[in-house]
Amino acid sequence: MSSRQWLTSALRQIPSRAGLSQQLQQQPCTAKHLSTSAPAAALKHFPSSPRSSTANPGAQLSSLLEDDDSATPSPATQLSSTAALQNIYNQSSNQWGRGGTRTTNQRFSATDLRQSEQTKAYMDQMPRRWQAGDLYAPRDLSPAEMRKWHRRQKPKGDIIDVLGVSPLDNYRNFSLIADFITPFGRIKHSSDTGLRPVNQRKIAKTVRRAIGLGIHPSVHKHPELLVRASRNLPQANIAKKTDSPRSILG
Amino acid sequence: MASVRSVSPGGALLRASRLFSLPQPIPPPPGNQANSGSNHNSDSATLAFPTHQVITTMSSSRKRGDWGLKRPLPLKSTTKSTNAMLRIRQIDSIEQVTDYSSGADHGLSLRKFQELNIPVTVPPAAVDSYSIRPASRMNLPQRSAFEEDGDFTAIDPQKAAAMQDKRWKFTGPWLAGMTQGAFNKWVAKNVKPRRPEFLQFLKNKIAQENLQTALLKAQENGETLPTTADPASVTDEQLTDYLRKLRNDNQQLYELVGQFLDLAPLNPPTSDALAQLNPTTHVTLTQSGSPYAERGPPITHPSAGLSYLKTSMYLDNHPLYGPQRSHPPVQARVMNPRRSTINVQARIGLAGFVTDSPYGDTASNSRGQGSRALDKFDPELVGGAKIWVQPHSASVDARGRIKLNVGDAKEEDRLVALELLGEEKIFGELKKVEAKPSAAADLRNTYRSNGAYKSTRMSSSDGYGVGTLQFRYRPSQPQ
Repeated sequence: MSSRQWLTSALRQIPSRAGLSQQLQQQPCTAKHLSTSAPAAALKHFPSSPRSSTANPGAQLSSLLEDDDSATPSPATQLSSTAALQNIYNQSSNQWGRGGTRTTNQRFSATDLRQSEQTKAYMDQMPRRWQAGDLYAPRDLSPAEMRKWHRRQKPKGDIIDVLGVSPLDNYRNFSLIADFITPFGRIKHSSDTGLRPVNQRKIAKTVRRAIGLGIHPSVHKHPELLVRASRNLPQANIAKKTDSPRSILG
Repeated sequence: MASVRSVSPGGALLRASRLFSLPQPIPPPPGNQANSGSNHNSDSATLAFPTHQVITTMSSSRKRGDWGLKRPLPLKSTTKSTNAMLRIRQIDSIEQVTDYSSGADHGLSLRKFQELNIPVTVPPAAVDSYSIRPASRMNLPQRSAFEEDGDFTAIDPQKAAAMQDKRWKFTGPWLAGMTQGAFNKWVAKNVKPRRPEFLQFLKNKIAQENLQTALLKAQENGETLPTTADPASVTDEQLTDYLRKLRNDNQQLYELVGQFLDLAPLNPPTSDALAQLNPTTHVTLTQSGSPYAERGPPITHPSAGLSYLKTSMYLDNHPLYGPQRSHPPVQARVMNPRRSTINVQARIGLAGFVTDSPYGDTASNSRGQGSRALDKFDPELVGGAKIWVQPHSASVDARGRIKLNVGDAKEEDRLVALELLGEEKIFGELKKVEAKPSAAADLRNTYRSNGAYKSTRMSSSDGYGVGTLQFRYRPSQPQ
């Protein structure tokens, strides 16, 4: 039995908290996000039911309450379900800011956030990603130089020659095709792709072939890539070793 | 040959002139070819290493525009700079002008590097800026690029195969560093035409093997020993049999092909060897083969001529405090703070060389005040954020880039360095040495190192007798 199942069954044991348990069941994710502690620890604040016997989980709850700190309400105090929820919320927000009072934490994080934003704003003005081993002179830090790093340079080499792939065999490679078409699905010019004429013709044929076969849209990238991008997945599938031709034949 | 021929008086004059002391430019640093599809780049950025000779002249000559070239250079653009350093692209262009530009970027970088006084080592194992990179950061003992057993410039072709794991220069490529396209091209252009030559090479091998068996047999039977191996006596049938045998023995085939083409050694990178390190794990240092097998051989001499120091085990003497335990620390510029959301690491610039911030359990990596300069950008700081670091050594990677190995600077060293600069007074004031800076601006500008400070052991007597060329981490399970 998982801890959440245990939690809900424990709540069902307490008749006066039936409404609350329903609430918790409906929004389990919210409670989980708010609290960094285990669900059982969050339940410490619930007063135990007088009907609970030693065998049922309500008793475990009451035993948990005994070694609780003074900040929590005493078990004898009867609380409404709203107040109980409020307690959970208070406790979780206390746990959120570890150490110190809540107000100082808030102030600290606000400063932190502002500094992060500031860092981001300034770093956006410095688009060069420095690598270990780069050499710089004062001029390399100048705005004129940084403007150049903002712009996307046209490719100089022929990427197809570098990779040594055959474009015509790659008509099902949608991520490859996506690199050579515009957002409106037109084939990019060789001045944009940087390919030599032979490879440019091959790439153009690949794109036309994929569209002509009906396996690639003619107006944009393949939707599979869009899904992958939205899920933060890599743009291409990595070939699996299990997909051997023998298994297809036999 | 030019040296044999007598040189005309005009030729002799030209040869003695400075014009001929300008070497041919070397190819620029190779870019990342795989990224050529989408590159953000600048054509005027300082290259990772110079391609042209930087020339200088005396100030009196500079005032006259005399740089020892064909024609005097314009005074307006050559006399303003403090540093008389020029790079000559073309002595005489088609427009009949001398094409020159400032060479101060590389010239001053070299000067600043030499001021660091650090030795250049052979590249440490597995330097990968994105993975868990242990070996180079753990202050393992490192070997100087000038150690006798690895510093070859002239190699006897007979012994080339035996020195495979020690030398750094190979006529063949490093296969792991080639793209598929480049590999295909190389095979078609350089390897296929050499097929008959390779068969002859194999015949020589077979003849050598035959000679060995004949020698053994003659020794056993008490006959006269054969002296020479005769490759001509090897029949085609023997060769075919040998080829068949080789096809089933990949290792042997690779060794022979590697010998024939003089391929650089290959080794898979030992990147995350320390990932499983925990209190119950043993770490043993074992000898690996060539130090260039993992990341490729360097395109220059492994020292790149930057520093001729063999070791950093020397003492710095302070006029007041005497010999110092550590070398003077250096101020490094924070090039960009770390930004974890977009996976950008903090980089610092030291003497013009960009490097990673100190690794390991150091003050600059602890969360809190110590690492503020590396975490946040503060626009109010005049001149930008700087931290004090201790450079240990440098190495040249396969692309000719200089990788500095730095650690945190000790607070005491920082104060001593500041006092030498005249910015701090600590002589006779012990309290100041013990006091911790508390102002936020202080902390952003400089930071305290509360972690243990270790200097890299290099070419010391400790290293001798171990007999290792390159150390590598091999985590093993406890017995």
